[in-house]
Amino acid sequence: MRSPSGFSAQTLSVLAALCEEPSQWQHGYALAMQTGLKSGTLYPILVRLADRGLLEACWQDEPVPGRPRRHLYRLTADGAASAAEALAAARTAAARAAAPASSARRPGLRVRGGRGVAAPGAS
Amino acid sequence: MSRLSRAAARWAVRLVPAGRRDWAEGLLAEADQVPPGLARLAWRAGGVRFIAREARLLRVAAQVLVFAAAAAWIVHVAWPGPASNPSTAINRLNVVTLLPVLAVLPLLARWLFGPAAPGRLARVLRYGAYAAVLVLLLAKASVEPMADNPAATPYLNSDASTPVKDGMISTWLSQSVFLLIVAVYVAAILAFTARRSRVTPGTLAVGTGTGLVLGAVLYAIFPIGLTNHTTNPLLPGYAAGLLVALAWILLFGGPILAGVVAARRYRAPERPEQASAEQASTEQASNARIRQAAAAGFLATAVGALTVTALGTATVALMPRAGWLLHGLYPGQHLTAAAAYIRELTASVRIGNYGLTLLFFPVIGLLMGLWAGAAATQYGPDLGGGPPRPPGYTPAPDPAGQPVIR
Repeated sequence: MRSPSGFSAQTLSVLAALCEEPSQWQHGYALAMQTGLKSGTLYPILVRLADRGLLEACWQDEPVPGRPRRHLYRLTADGAASAAEALAAARTAAARAAAPASSARRPGLRVRGGRGVAAPGAS
Repeated sequence: MSRLSRAAARWAVRLVPAGRRDWAEGLLAEADQVPPGLARLAWRAGGVRFIAREARLLRVAAQVLVFAAAAAWIVHVAWPGPASNPSTAINRLNVVTLLPVLAVLPLLARWLFGPAAPGRLARVLRYGAYAAVLVLLLAKASVEPMADNPAATPYLNSDASTPVKDGMISTWLSQSVFLLIVAVYVAAILAFTARRSRVTPGTLAVGTGTGLVLGAVLYAIFPIGLTNHTTNPLLPGYAAGLLVALAWILLFGGPILAGVVAARRYRAPERPEQASAEQASTEQASNARIRQAAAAGFLATAVGALTVTALGTATVALMPRAGWLLHGLYPGQHLTAAAAYIRELTASVRIGNYGLTLLFFPVIGLLMGLWAGAAATQYGPDLGGGPPRPPGYTPAPDPAGQPVIR
C-alpha cells in the first residue's frame, strides 16, 4: 500500500524515525528498533532513500574498541523536507479514511449475524 | 563473530557491486550491536537477504540454471551415436571443448574487463550471443550425424555447388577452426559489453542493429545452407536477385555506415587537462573514433554471420523433424520420402558453408569499419563530435571526476 506521496508504509515509518531527530546521525539497529523492521527490509529502504538524495550515510569516526565501525544515517535537507511533506500527507489521508468509516456507523443500522449492512447510498 | 564467519561475510560483501558495499558492510557490522541469540541470527539473515538482492544472486542463479539446462540438452543430443559415424566424435569434441569454454568465458571477461556494462543493451547482446551459440551447437549436433555419415554420401545431390567431402583431415581441421571462431565471437562480445570496455553503447547499438539486418537478409536468401546461389525455394528469381544485391551492399556498406555513425556519435571526454594539451587530445579522440568505427564494423558483420548461421543450421536441423517446415519450403510439391531425404541431406552438407561467413565476415567488417573510422575522422566535424565550437570555448570539467571510458 503506497501513500499519496509515493512512499510505502514501511518507508514512511523509516522517515518518521529519522525525522524525530533530523540532525542526529542514527544507526541501523536503532532504526530497526524504532520501526520494527527487519534488517533485510530496512536496509533496502535506506539504500533507496540515499539513491534519491534524501538520506546521507557515513562511517563512525571513533569506533568503540573491540567493535567494528558503525554505518550512520540521517536525512539530508531535501530528505527532511520530503519526509515532513510525506508524513503530513499520510496523516491527512489517514484522517480522511477514518472519517467516512466513523460516519458510516449511523445509529439504527441493523446488524445481522455480526455483519454490518451498508447504509443506503454507501458503496 | 568467529574468524570463519567474518571471512565469509567479507567474501559475501565482495559479491555486492562496489557502490553498495558500504551498506552491506554497515549492515553486517551492526550485527555486533544486536543482542546475541535469535535476534542477532535474524539480523544476519536479513544481511544475507540484502546481499543476495544487491548482488542479483537470483539473476545469476537463473543464468547458471538456464545454461546448465541448455548444456545438458546439447550433451543429450550430441553424445550418443555409432562409432562408425565420424560425427559422433565431432559432436563429442564440441561438447567437451566448447561448453566448458562458454561456461568459463564470462568469468574470465569479468576478471579482465569487469562485469556487464550497465544498461539493457549490453545484457541483451550477451544473452543473444549465448542463445545463438547454444542453438547453433544443438542444431549442429542434430545435423552432423546426417552430414558426416559416409553411408549417405552416394545419395548426395550431384549439384555442382554441393561441397565435396574430401577426407577426415579437412573435417577435423574445419571443426577446430569452428570451435576457435565461436570462442572468439563469444569472447569479443563479452569484452565489448563489459563495464571497462571502450565500446560505447551507441556503437553497440548501431553495430548490432546493422548486423541483425544483414543476418535477416542472408537468412532470407540462404535459409537451408549456403551455396553460390539462393537456397530459398520460395524466392522468385527477381526477389532473389534484389536480396542478393542488398546482401552485398550490407556486407560491405553496412560496416562502413555503422563505422561512420559510431565515429560521428562518439564524443571525446571534455577534461581540463586535455584542453591544455589540445594536440594530444585531438590525436586521442581521433584514435578513439577509429576504434569505435572498427568495433561497429566488426559487430555489423559478426552479428549478421552468427544470426544466419544459427538460424540456418536450426532450420536444417528441424527439416527432418517438422513436416510443416518441409511443406512450407516446398509448397504444393508432393515429395516422396526419398526426395525429402535427399533435400535434407543436401541441406545438412551445405550448412558447413555458414562457417565461411563466421570466418570472413568479421574480417571484412573490421577492415571496412577501420576505413570508415579513418575517413570520418579526416573529413568529419570537430573532434569530440557535435557542432563546431565557438572561439575561446573552454571544456567543462568532468563532474564525476572519473576517467571516461573510450
